[in-house]
Amino acid sequence: MTSDSGAFATYYPTLLRYAAVAVGLAVLMYGVYRLLRWLGVKREAATGFALVLPWVVGFLGFVLFPIALSFYLSFTEYNVLWDKPRSLEDPLFNYKRALSIRVVELDEGQRPLQVLGVLESPSPETVRFRELDRIRWGGKTYLIGATDPFFLKAIWLTLRYAVLNIPLGLVGALCVALLLNQKVKGIGFWRTLYYLPAVLPAAAVALLWFWLFAPTSGLINSMLKPVYNLLDMQPMGWFTEKDLVLPSFVIMGLWGVFGANTVILLAGLKNIPAELYEAAAIDGAGTWTKFRHITIPMLSPALFYNLVTGTIAALQIFTQQAFIPTNRDDGWFVNWFVYNEAFNFGRMGYASALGWMLTLMIVVLTLFIFRSSSAWVFYEGMRRDRGKG
Amino acid sequence: MAAETAVPRALSREDRLARRRRLQHLLQRILIYTLLVLGALIILVPCLWMVSTSLKVEKRLFDQPPQWIPDPIAPENYIEAWQKLASIAPGLTFWRIMGNTLFITALAMFAEMFSASIVAYGFARFEFKGRGVLFFIMLSTMMIPATLTRVPTFLIWKRLGLLNTYDPMTVPAWFAWGPAYVFLLRQFFLTIPREMEDAATVDGANPIQTYFYIMLPLVKPAFLAIGVLSFQGNWNNFESPLIYLNTTQMFPLVLSIKFFQQSLSKEAPKWHYMMAMTTMMAVPILALFFAAQRYFIEGLTVGAVKG
Repeated sequence: MTSDSGAFATYYPTLLRYAAVAVGLAVLMYGVYRLLRWLGVKREAATGFALVLPWVVGFLGFVLFPIALSFYLSFTEYNVLWDKPRSLEDPLFNYKRALSIRVVELDEGQRPLQVLGVLESPSPETVRFRELDRIRWGGKTYLIGATDPFFLKAIWLTLRYAVLNIPLGLVGALCVALLLNQKVKGIGFWRTLYYLPAVLPAAAVALLWFWLFAPTSGLINSMLKPVYNLLDMQPMGWFTEKDLVLPSFVIMGLWGVFGANTVILLAGLKNIPAELYEAAAIDGAGTWTKFRHITIPMLSPALFYNLVTGTIAALQIFTQQAFIPTNRDDGWFVNWFVYNEAFNFGRMGYASALGWMLTLMIVVLTLFIFRSSSAWVFYEGMRRDRGKG
Repeated sequence: MAAETAVPRALSREDRLARRRRLQHLLQRILIYTLLVLGALIILVPCLWMVSTSLKVEKRLFDQPPQWIPDPIAPENYIEAWQKLASIAPGLTFWRIMGNTLFITALAMFAEMFSASIVAYGFARFEFKGRGVLFFIMLSTMMIPATLTRVPTFLIWKRLGLLNTYDPMTVPAWFAWGPAYVFLLRQFFLTIPREMEDAATVDGANPIQTYFYIMLPLVKPAFLAIGVLSFQGNWNNFESPLIYLNTTQMFPLVLSIKFFQQSLSKEAPKWHYMMAMTTMMAVPILALFFAAQRYFIEGLTVGAVKG
């Protein structure tokens, strides 16, 4: 084991600041406690507030302030190399640039870029409309142009991924949980095995599946060879072909289904009182009726929880993407796209605006799920406090 | 047949029914076990392929049909991979990478657990004005995507002059940055009867003593649960090192593998080395999982079921 001084030189400044922050925080907590007591606050209240203070400080400094800063930056132009953000003549320019769409007719012999033109807005640089798609209708060709086709494509890909991955994942996890809830020998062994994909690091899973899906000699294409021969088709280019990027990511995502979601649903299944099933059996209910009218309602809080966390996670897929270099044209998810705008192209202002749009998407979808929950999520009378987590 | 005619008809029907039920039961068992084995194969085949690849020599990587048992077996991949990495990134040896990863994980984990438990204790046990609102705000922050705060947080660290240090991935852990952990621990604190603390208070213990000597031992399972999750989260943390670290020598494990993929494995993929590194990244987490499975599952479920 080498203990070269190089390593220590990078560790100890952080260690010092780490300790300093801890001491500073403790002093602050005590100071706030004394201050509140001096102001005549009751002992219990003062202690409680002092105890939650670390979170309050963190919230102000690492959540609220960044959010406000991001909001301000989204109306500016800010290259990471500049000292300061520059104000934009048209404050909404970043948003317009991300979302502008234009449909024009394309005549014979015209070039798409010329027809589509530029974004008419006072802007620091000329922003051209680029071709997003073209439609043939009634003998004419129409061009759909966007000022940032890549962003719109990334949103479209992310939404499709969420729509496929979340329901499939939920149903899959439910099936596995029902299977693991059966009385079988060595159930502990089976459960440990089934949780394995949830434990593996996301980076490891991504690399592994990138290798499994390798176009010419990956394991999956090798195993599918008889099928290819039978159907007389070329081996599929899983992560590389335009139309296969999405299915590849969905399949990889489903592999994780066996993990975290299953654990939660299985715990939910175990919480269902056996008397409910016994009572139903006496009333002559069959397996399906029991499943539909006992299991599903009793499990709905756990399903709801999985739905919320699953939606938030699916819309933010990041690490997997970083290890699977797909084509920017049609293979990038929003989160990865925004990261690249900010840290590879240095456009901090524009990236902030994009970040706000992704946030809006997440909040709207989550609120929609919360609103719909009263219709299908069932809480036992004695446990009214719903799992907001 | 002769015996059947001897017994009354009714009994014979019951007998048939029982036999049918037994057959049904048997079929059900077969179905369950088939499904279990099928699922196990779906899980195990990729994992075994990972290990198998990691033990192959380069020119046999792309053999068709795929070889499950490597021939020759090349365990030296596990050493060579890191040597290759160190050859293009001076100083980035295996032990250095381990040191970096453990340094980040240990610091972040300790601060995260400590602050989360204190904050959870505050939320669970003390009445103060605005407690409900603060708790609600804390839970809502879980909805805020990393995308939104990534750029401004980066600019804050840049302004502080702390880019390319370990600070951004360790120091903020003091501020209870995992709302899920606070939530989990609070749920546990709520289950502990108040008399326990009252007794301690009567005996003259202050809140800090009560917390350390009475409360913490009582929530040990939950504490270990977030410990396991926190270890996993920080060990696998990829995003912050990617954004904040430039010096290759400072890279933790995940980022080193990414670096390997981008440089040495770019033209001709060195899957044997990459799978060896991936296996080594997964092993500590798997070991932890096998050792502390109970806490792991507790940590995952408490939010959904006890909530």
